[in-house]
Amino acid sequence: MVTVKDYECSFENKWCSGCGNFGILSAMKESLAELEISPDNILLVSGIGQAGKTPHFMKCNMFHSLHGRALTIATGAKLANHNLNIIVNSGDGDCYGEGGNHFINAVRRNIDVTLLVHNNQIYGLTKGQASPTSDQGMKTNLQQNGVISEPFNPVSTALALGCGFVARGFSGNTTQLKKLIKEAVNYRGFSIIDILQPCVSFNKINTYSWYKSKVYDLEDENYSPDSLENAFKISRLWNEKIPTGIIYKEEKLSYTEKIKVLNRHALIENNYNPEKLKEVILNIA
Amino acid sequence: MTFDISIKIGGEAGQGIQTVGNILTSVFQSAGLYTMAINDFESRVRGGHSFFQIRISDKPVNAPSHKIDILMALNQLTCKYHEKELTKDGIILSDARFFSEKDNIHFIPLTELSAKAGDKITSNTIAVGIILSLTGMPVRLLEDVLKFSFQKKGKDILEKNFKAAELGYDFASKFKYNLNLPADNFDNSRININGSKAIALGALASDCRFASFYPMSPATSVMKNLSAFSKDIPFIVEQAEDEIAAVNNIIGASFAGVRSITSTSGGGFCLMTEGLGLAAITETPVVIINAQRPGPATGLPTRTAQADLQFVIKSSQDDFPRFVFAPGSPEEAFKITQKAFYLSEKYQVPAIILTDQYLNDSLFTIEKGVLTIPENIKSFIIEDKELENPELYKRYKLTKNGISQRVLPCSGKAIVRVTGNEHDESGHISEDAENRNKMVNKRFVKMEGMIQEMSSPETFNKESDILMIGWGSSKYAIKEASDILIESGIDIGYIHFTDLWPFPFDMVTDLIKNKKLIMVEGNRSSQLGLLIMEQTGERFFETVLKYNGRPFYPNEICKQVKKILE
Repeated sequence: MVTVKDYECSFENKWCSGCGNFGILSAMKESLAELEISPDNILLVSGIGQAGKTPHFMKCNMFHSLHGRALTIATGAKLANHNLNIIVNSGDGDCYGEGGNHFINAVRRNIDVTLLVHNNQIYGLTKGQASPTSDQGMKTNLQQNGVISEPFNPVSTALALGCGFVARGFSGNTTQLKKLIKEAVNYRGFSIIDILQPCVSFNKINTYSWYKSKVYDLEDENYSPDSLENAFKISRLWNEKIPTGIIYKEEKLSYTEKIKVLNRHALIENNYNPEKLKEVILNIA
Repeated sequence: MTFDISIKIGGEAGQGIQTVGNILTSVFQSAGLYTMAINDFESRVRGGHSFFQIRISDKPVNAPSHKIDILMALNQLTCKYHEKELTKDGIILSDARFFSEKDNIHFIPLTELSAKAGDKITSNTIAVGIILSLTGMPVRLLEDVLKFSFQKKGKDILEKNFKAAELGYDFASKFKYNLNLPADNFDNSRININGSKAIALGALASDCRFASFYPMSPATSVMKNLSAFSKDIPFIVEQAEDEIAAVNNIIGASFAGVRSITSTSGGGFCLMTEGLGLAAITETPVVIINAQRPGPATGLPTRTAQADLQFVIKSSQDDFPRFVFAPGSPEEAFKITQKAFYLSEKYQVPAIILTDQYLNDSLFTIEKGVLTIPENIKSFIIEDKELENPELYKRYKLTKNGISQRVLPCSGKAIVRVTGNEHDESGHISEDAENRNKMVNKRFVKMEGMIQEMSSPETFNKESDILMIGWGSSKYAIKEASDILIESGIDIGYIHFTDLWPFPFDMVTDLIKNKKLIMVEGNRSSQLGLLIMEQTGERFFETVLKYNGRPFYPNEICKQVKKILE
């Protein structure tokens, strides 16, 4: 039996006290333990930012990569060995800013990894600049007259790209978040949970109480996540009330399931075959 | 050498020049002749001016010739640009209405003959028939090659092409001109191959199973070859969203335990430099092909250069060990690709192979026997059961030679942590000053082992007081130039580098001491010359530099060397 304790790690946690990331970290450990996935059987891939450090703070195999590139590392690892359980920890700047093109294409591929975006609507590690998800008008040390651009809507974008598992969580509701992570990890294909998470140091607008006053659980409204049309409508809600939970779910074949050569074995499980290669050389005209 | 002739087919993009050239090369090869073919084209799909040039001999030929015996001009520009390259007895064949009064121009009615064959599209095959007739090749050789090329397109198309070949052949048999080349020395131990295919085969013979890339000339052909082979061998070629993704895809795949490759050209390599650094600090093996073309920025997209040497040796921020190789032929490309995979995995460092448009796209005749497939692949990956205590495993454990045991993630009880941040032995972020020094030194100490793996440069007549020095694809042009120069009474030798970084300065210092050195390079600043200066302290050399996007011709090297020696 796997327990949360198995995931404990002595490495010093470097987040600010009260950081929204703690809720995500504990929900991750709990859901993995409940899924009976042991630390030696999970690979966490992350980018740069406070979210990127997540894998250091629990016992697990990890690839803490570059800003924006986590999904590209995860894609390569999954193609090489699709038996790996891969979770990607990224942030709003990492995933929707620097890694925007990779995000688009990871969704399009439907590669079987779970993406957790720690979305705090601000750049924390670089101390308080606007992120792609900052609301219009938000004033920061760099955007002194307020953010001009429209905020990036990850939920609508993921839906538009054909993502088969789209959810939104809130780090202040770890019971729900744990449930979402478990569903996302079990989903065969690309799953994204955009997780609202307050930055206690640099985002003085989107605070715990701000989120708490707006979020509600779609399950409480008997919402059924099987209609793309409804999902799109839900994905546009933000200013008054913010829906959380599974917004859209659809079963489809994942990327590696559609690659013929991977039907029988993971790429890594094949054996080097010199005889076959000699045939290839012989047949070169 | 009893004969050494060259044929050039020029015309617009989209006229099928490459198809004509490839078929001709196959026929000459099946006649037992040695061939060498270059492919010169513009960055456009239709129009402009392109050419395909084949050199044919009864002895190995491995560089293009500056002289043309038969010039097939499918447009007027071909005559304008290349008429001056004709030998004294050379002829021009043309189907256009732009005759000059010169009597070496022969009209070939391709349109009329293709109508007779039943399809306009057969005009290329007619052109092939004409050239084969004028070189004395039997028509049956062409039929065999056509069968191979058109079999999949159906019986009707095949028969129309047979007819077209005969029409062209018969038409040209009326000409007085005939080179009467021998056609009865077929030797099935030889094949025609370009650098791209040789690299692809080299990757397969290294047990590489994954490639990710973003399309870019002249690097795409490596991936096209791998993709074709993946029908027979478990291999995935992934087209990434950009070069950044491509290099990170292969880092991820290699981290998970599958040998991986990407190929790009200079501009794409610019985007990959971030990932190159990640491979370096995470100590993840990767092999990157940089098929050079002239830059900067878009430069000349379809042309050739040797101008990224200094860039790939230094690229990405800070310093770290890496391997850099530059093969001089398809044989070397095949072997060096295997060496790159082996060493990249052994030392857990990135390996970069510099090729270029000329090597990637040119066809060379090689002995099939040089493409030997190893029976086993030496793996440097450590399994959980080999570890004394997997629970205590540290990915970056400090060792004497800098190489730590590499275990794969999720392959056992050992926890594998890697990061692009500076880290401690266990793979956790560390900002400790002492640890930083230890880790930089750990990575750098590998250079001591790495330099021992470098092969010394190939030399010819190294006792001579005058030595040409080159690297990569210009090898055979330099070799032929030295033969010509020696024949003309100039005592000269050459040094040719394939293994460039870590720079084997021990092997080089003695070779170049007290010599007159002439750097022959495809760039403006003599990048290898500068590297030799930096590494050996040798300060004086002359240069033969070419950076117009075209490959070296032996004759032009000779001319410039003679000028230097005057």
